Parts: sequence; structure tokens; C-alpha cells
Amino acid sequence: MLTRGLRRGLGYAAVLFVALLLNFALPRIAPGDPADYLLPPEAAGDVTPQQRQEALSDFGLDASIPVQLQQYFVNLAQGDLGLSVRYARPVTEVLADRIAWTAMLVGGALVLSTLFGVLLGFASAWRRGSAADTGTLTSVMVIDAMPPFFTGLLLMFVFSVQLDLLPVFGALPASGATGVALAGDVLERLILPLVTLTLGYLGTVYLVARASLIGELEEDYVLMARAKGLDARGIRRHAQRNALIPVTTITLVGLGTLVGGAAVVETVFSYPGLGLLIYDAVLTRDYPLLQGAFLLLAAGVLLANFVADLLYPLLDPRVRPTGAQVG
Amino acid sequence: MARRTCVFLVASLIALALGIAASSQALAQEDDAGGEGQTTVRAALTGFENNLTPFTITFATGRPDDLLMLVYDSLFWSQTKEDPEAWLAESAAPSDDYRTWTVKLRPNLTWHDGRPLTAEDVKFTFDYFKDAPPGRWTHHVTDVPPYDSSEVVDERTVRLRFAAPAPQFKILPGADLPILPKHVWEDIESPGTATEMLPVGSGPYKLTRIVPDQRYRLEANEDYFKGKPLVDVLELPIVRDTSAAFQALRTGQLDIVTEDVPPAVVERLEESDQIEVHRGHDFASTELRFNARKEPFDNPRVRKAISLAIDREALVERVLQGDGEPGNDNWVHPESPWALPDGEHERDVERARQMLDQAGFRRRGEGVRESADGEPLEFSVLVSSLDAEALRALQLVERQLREIGVDMNTESLDPAALRQRTTPGPQGPPQHDAYLGTFDWHAHTDPDTLYFFFHSPGKKGIGAIFTGWSNQRFDQLVERATTMELDERKPVLHDAQRILAEEAPLITLWYREDVTAYRPAAYSGWIDDSGHGLFTKRSFLEPYAEVGTADAVVDEATDSWWWLVLVAVALALLVAAVLLIRRRRSASEEQSFE
Repeated sequence: MLTRGLRRGLGYAAVLFVALLLNFALPRIAPGDPADYLLPPEAAGDVTPQQRQEALSDFGLDASIPVQLQQYFVNLAQGDLGLSVRYARPVTEVLADRIAWTAMLVGGALVLSTLFGVLLGFASAWRRGSAADTGTLTSVMVIDAMPPFFTGLLLMFVFSVQLDLLPVFGALPASGATGVALAGDVLERLILPLVTLTLGYLGTVYLVARASLIGELEEDYVLMARAKGLDARGIRRHAQRNALIPVTTITLVGLGTLVGGAAVVETVFSYPGLGLLIYDAVLTRDYPLLQGAFLLLAAGVLLANFVADLLYPLLDPRVRPTGAQVG
Repeated sequence: MARRTCVFLVASLIALALGIAASSQALAQEDDAGGEGQTTVRAALTGFENNLTPFTITFATGRPDDLLMLVYDSLFWSQTKEDPEAWLAESAAPSDDYRTWTVKLRPNLTWHDGRPLTAEDVKFTFDYFKDAPPGRWTHHVTDVPPYDSSEVVDERTVRLRFAAPAPQFKILPGADLPILPKHVWEDIESPGTATEMLPVGSGPYKLTRIVPDQRYRLEANEDYFKGKPLVDVLELPIVRDTSAAFQALRTGQLDIVTEDVPPAVVERLEESDQIEVHRGHDFASTELRFNARKEPFDNPRVRKAISLAIDREALVERVLQGDGEPGNDNWVHPESPWALPDGEHERDVERARQMLDQAGFRRRGEGVRESADGEPLEFSVLVSSLDAEALRALQLVERQLREIGVDMNTESLDPAALRQRTTPGPQGPPQHDAYLGTFDWHAHTDPDTLYFFFHSPGKKGIGAIFTGWSNQRFDQLVERATTMELDERKPVLHDAQRILAEEAPLITLWYREDVTAYRPAAYSGWIDDSGHGLFTKRSFLEPYAEVGTADAVVDEATDSWWWLVLVAVALALLVAAVLLIRRRRSASEEQSFE
């Protein structure tokens, strides 16, 4: 048991280390560098190489690559993610500003799309081939095919412009509300982006859930149960529990994709999430901010994997370590 | 197990709700206690400009100058006029050789923090910009005019010395350079990273709150020397998506959108009786810039031929849907005081063909022209992948050039890569053929822009980077002009523009019109300050704003707490329903297993 945990821990450490290296290397491989952003020709004109170096020195980006790499790890060990080029503020602060918004938006969308995706998917699979199934399948596919910015603008048009129910932009109201009223304002501003993002991910979960339950229902044990006279509800209960396993994987692995994919929704609704931050950081070649944001994402995905590792034995007795007693 | 899943589900939903409530509390920081009867104008910005200091703004909004100058003041205002109005300055007198300017400030000027604004601050500002890292204002202090030193004569008088005659001092840097408080900046060694403070200026508005990437709050400077501004509070939310911004304007969540109204939206906004659409000039130009250091564009005939073949009217009509003027061959915006009075754009496809023939690019049949060595006449234009208008325009240009046997293709890049490909780097001069770029208002109002942007590559000017073009006679003219008085200067600049038109190192495609939409019910005092648009400091000041009184807009966004109640009720119902179903189900299961 101990060696197993140790091996797993080492695995995570190795993945994290590779991720850290990639976070450092990938932004620097892209053409252009932060000096191009800091000294735009329209404003700064024809700058000398020394001036470029000076501009980069504020951010510790003027050193040679090996020195930068070394500094990166030294700073990281001290919890220092450097200074963002775009914001000229510590990366940790910039990320801290965003993380709650992303947690609400992406976390909410992950929970909601999983919940509804599973409910709809299972219902569809159970009534496979019926009009209800075909109808649900078609509508989910249509929603899934719509690009998120289009869904967002459509929802905005209906709920904000036509019905005048919900605000169009931003995460925080300009009014000076506090307490419950403020939470209400914040929630109100979350609804449209959350629904847009949920609809964007719903299709994936739905399809996996549906296919997975259909697969389970064709298994021998279902036939066996039916032969033994188990009623429909009982069969469904057994099959659904097994069908949840691939859904769990999809949900937890989807976390990283969803954070990045949220950028479009965050742009449409001017929502200050991580996705939009990363997009802007790429455009400005903000190396320190990209490193920090990617680190956060990598940590999030690793955590999700860890959770999945813990959940699997609960969901599926077959992968439980032999001898261990669970639940 | 079913119960456990169910409990887990409920727990996570509750946790989510609690998390939302808690984090919204945490994120809200302090309360903005808005007083009764205050007027508020809500204007959308397209991007976040950090803490609005001259060294930390990001240009994410495109042209932050007018936003910045709500907080700061310059000695004169504004640079779009030949003779700007005295602003912080009461008067400014040059020496006979224009190398020294004696500036007298208005009496009783103060900074937002209450400290007096004195001649000491003016001296400090010029010294500080001279030593600061290169930026938007640097070349107006280090190059034209070359600021040397200054001395404080008394509390209100400062004498500024320049290394060369500075006849246009009032315009630049006078009407451009934001005057900084010495007591704030003197200890700051790295101004580019001074983002932690709220800026201290002397302008009509104080920046009182920054929520990064979400909004700014500016409050009227009650002690402003031009009188208290007409609008008490400016709420400036950042709206990243253009369509969203105009939707918000239509629903009344915004009062003005500072970004240009896209052609597709104009009509719908004009239909509304709540919204006013204003058209003016913002002196912006969009150009095809050649790399004149590289074949085939080192040959002026080839450049000119391409210029002659492009139908700019068609571009304005089809890409901007009429919201602009076709670009002139002499580049300078026709409304600029320095523009060639008879500036025009020539189109002559037949002459274009002849010029290419003369340049040695022969055409067989309807194909692509070839040089004597059999090299086809083809080139690629780099363009930002985010600029939809430019991409559409280049499609049209591609077709127009095919008519004269030139094969053009478009390569779209992200802005950072575009910049890297077109600016000289450690590896030497750039190797692109041409790229599409825009210059903003400041470029067209600066009397020395021709010098800055088009002087031959080398030590002079800053902008040979745009085209790499060189022409000796042009260089002499624009260099001489930098030290000339207004009357002499104009004809010299006109001559220089004629050379520019003939040599065509860049082709001006169009001057975009400034199309701004606002809700007059919220505030109707907007004035069209040529070159600045509507959202500029004079729009908020009594002596200028055409309609003095604004209707009070009461902020009504506070009564939406019922959403929370609704969601809580829905959650409770959901939980109850799930529990009920589960219980009934497990009961029936127990029966079935008997």
C-alpha cells in the first residue's frame, strides 16, 4: 500500500516537473517576445537592443535562457511567480484576482453540464430509439454544434435585450450593493456565461453517458438479472452505476479543456476568468503570466486526476487493490 | 451507495452556492457609497489600461490618450489645433531663436491630493520623461524638440531650454505631455512597474477605484481650475466584445460606447430614438506599408503602380460600408492642419500597367508578370488575424492587383508575431514584403510626424521601421521643418507630402470615420472635439459642453437580490425532489428483492 502511494506520488511529481519545463519553454518558442509588446513601434519607435534589454530587465527576462530557467525554479520554490508583463503586477496577485471567478464559472459549468448531461444521457439510453431519445439526441447535437460565442450572443439577445432580464457584461456590478444584494448581483451576472458554458460542454457528457449506459445494458449481467426477474428499475440501478465510470473520467479530464475553452464565453460576457487572461497573455507574450497560469492549470488537472484515482475504487470494485476493504 | 451519491451531489451544490456567496463578498471589497442626486455616465472601454499612468498604460483600448488626460493635464490643449489653448499654462513665451520657452502657470493649481502644482513639477516632468524608458512621449522630449534642461524661476514660472529651435513647443510636447506630480514620482525608479498606486493628477477627474479587467470609477475633481466637471461620476466598465457593448447600450446598461460603431450595427442603432449616433474625425489611417529595403519594393515604380491600381473607393464602400474616406496618396489625414490642401488619390490602371512594363515586369497574356530573370511579381502582405476589416479589404485588393498581373497573397498572424516579423530585431532588418497597419490620431496631428515616421533609416526619427524607405530630398525637407515656424513650415511639409505621394512607400487605404453612439438621456453635453471624438475632457467642462445640465441618472441596479432567493428556493426544491425520489425508489427496490 505504501509503495503504491509512493509510486503514485512520484508519478505526479514527474508529470508536474515536465509540465513546469513545458510552461517555461512553450511561450518562448512562439515568435516574438515581450519586448515587442512593451515597445510598440508606433509609440517607442526604433529601439536599440540595449533599450529592449532594459525594458525586459524589469521582469527578469533579460538574462540568458539557462539563467532564466534557473531563476524560474528558484523563484518557484519560494512561491514567487514573477512579474506579469501585461499588468506589471506580481503574477500571483493577477491570478488571485481571477481564480474565484473561474472557479464559479468553470466549476459551475462542470457540475451543471455533468448533472444534466448524465440525467439526459441516461434517460435517453434507457428509452433508446424512442421519439424522446431521438428528440433529445438531435437537440443536444444541435446545441453542441453551435459555437459558444454564438450561443452566448443568442442568449444575450433574448434574455438581456428582448426580455431585459439579465445584464450583458461584467462579473461585478457598478452599484455599491453589499451582502445578500451583492451576492444576488454577482449571481445574476454569472447566469448567462454559466449557461453558455454549460451548454457548450453538455453535449460531450450527454453522448458519453448515453453510449456508456447503452453499452452496459447489453452486458451479460443485465441479461442475467433480467432472467432472474429483476424489475426495470433494479436493472437500471445496476447498469447506471457502472455507466458512471467513463462519465467520471470525462468530467475530471475536461477541467483543463473547459478553463481554456471558457475564453470565448469570457470574452462575450467580459467575464474576468482565467481563459481570457491566458488568451491575452499569449497575445502579449507575457511569459511570467503564462507560466503562472499554466502552472495553475497543470496543478488543477493533476488534482482532478488524483481525485479520479481516489474515486475509481469507490465506483468500480474491480480496480480496488486486492485485500482492501472499501465501502 | 445511492444515498451517498445523492448526499455528495447535494453537498456539492450547496458548496457551490455558498462559494458563490462567499467569494462575491470577498471580491466586492469596499462599498462605493453613491450620494443622492449624483450624475453618472457609464462608458464602455475595450480593454484594461492598468492604473492609468503614462508609464503603465497598455494601449489595450487602442488610444488611451483621452482617457489618461481626464486624470492628467498638459500645459496646452489640444494638439489637433495649430494654436492650442493655454491649459495649465497661463502663457508661454519663446526666446528669439525658439530655443528657450518661458512658461507661466495659472495661479492656485492643485493636485488631486491637495498639494500645490508648481513650476517645480513641470521641470520634474520634462526631466523624468527624458530619462524614462522609451515610450509614447519620449521622442517629443528627446528628439523633436530635443529638451535640454530647465530652471525654476519662481513658484509659477519655469524656463525650458532646448538643444534646437522648438517653434512648435505649444503643440508638442506642450499639448501632449502629461504633467506629473514630483512628490509622487521622484522616488520611483522603475516607472513601468508602478502599478500599485492610484494615479495623482491634476485633471478634471480623479481615479478612485480600479477593479482589474472589470472597471474604473472616476469622480469629479471639485476644485478643477476650469470649474467642477458636469458629470459627477464616470463608471467605466471594460466590455471586451463589441456586439455585447452595443447590446448593452441598447438596453441602457451603458450610456456611451467609445469604440467605433461597426457598419453592420449603425443602422439598427440609428433606428432607436433613445440612441444618438455621432460622426466625426478621429484622424486614423489604415495603410499598406511596403518594405522598401527589399525587392521588388525597393523600386518606386512598382510601389506607385500598385498604388495606382487600388480602388480605394470600392474598399470604403464595401469594407467600411461608407463610414470613412478613401486614403490620399500624401498619407496625412485631410483634416489635419498640416495636410496638403489638394491631397488626392489617383487611380489609373492603364498607367499602372505601363509603369510595371517600364520596371521590367513583363506580362504574357493574362498571367502573372515576370522580371527579366523569370521571377514572378508576387508578394505577401502580413496582417493581424484579429482585424476582420483589414482581412476583407485585402481580399479585394488581391483581386484588383490581379488585373495588372500582380500576385498578392495575405498572411494573417497574431499581433505579437506580426510585430516581430516587421520590426528590425537582433537579426537585422525585417524580411517581410509588406504589412497592413494603422496610425492613430496623434500621428496625423503631430507636425513632425513626417520626420518621425518616414525619415531614412538611421539615427534620425523613429519610424523608418515602418517602411525602411529613404529619399534624400524628403529627409532634408522634414529635417528642416522641425525647427521652422508655422508659416514657413507648412509649404515645406506640403512638398514633403508630394514626394511621399509620388514615391508611395505606403499606400493609405482609408481614413476611418469616428462613429460614436450614446444615449442623450443620460448625458447630452458631448462635444465633437476634432481628433478626440466625444469622450474627451472638454465634453465634461462647462465652458465647452454644449448642453450644460445633465439629467440625473439614478442607479437602479441594486434591487436584484431576489435572484438569490429564487435560486435558493430552486435548490431546496431540487434537493427535496431528489431525496423524495430516492427514498421511494429504495423502498420499491427493497420490495422487489424480497
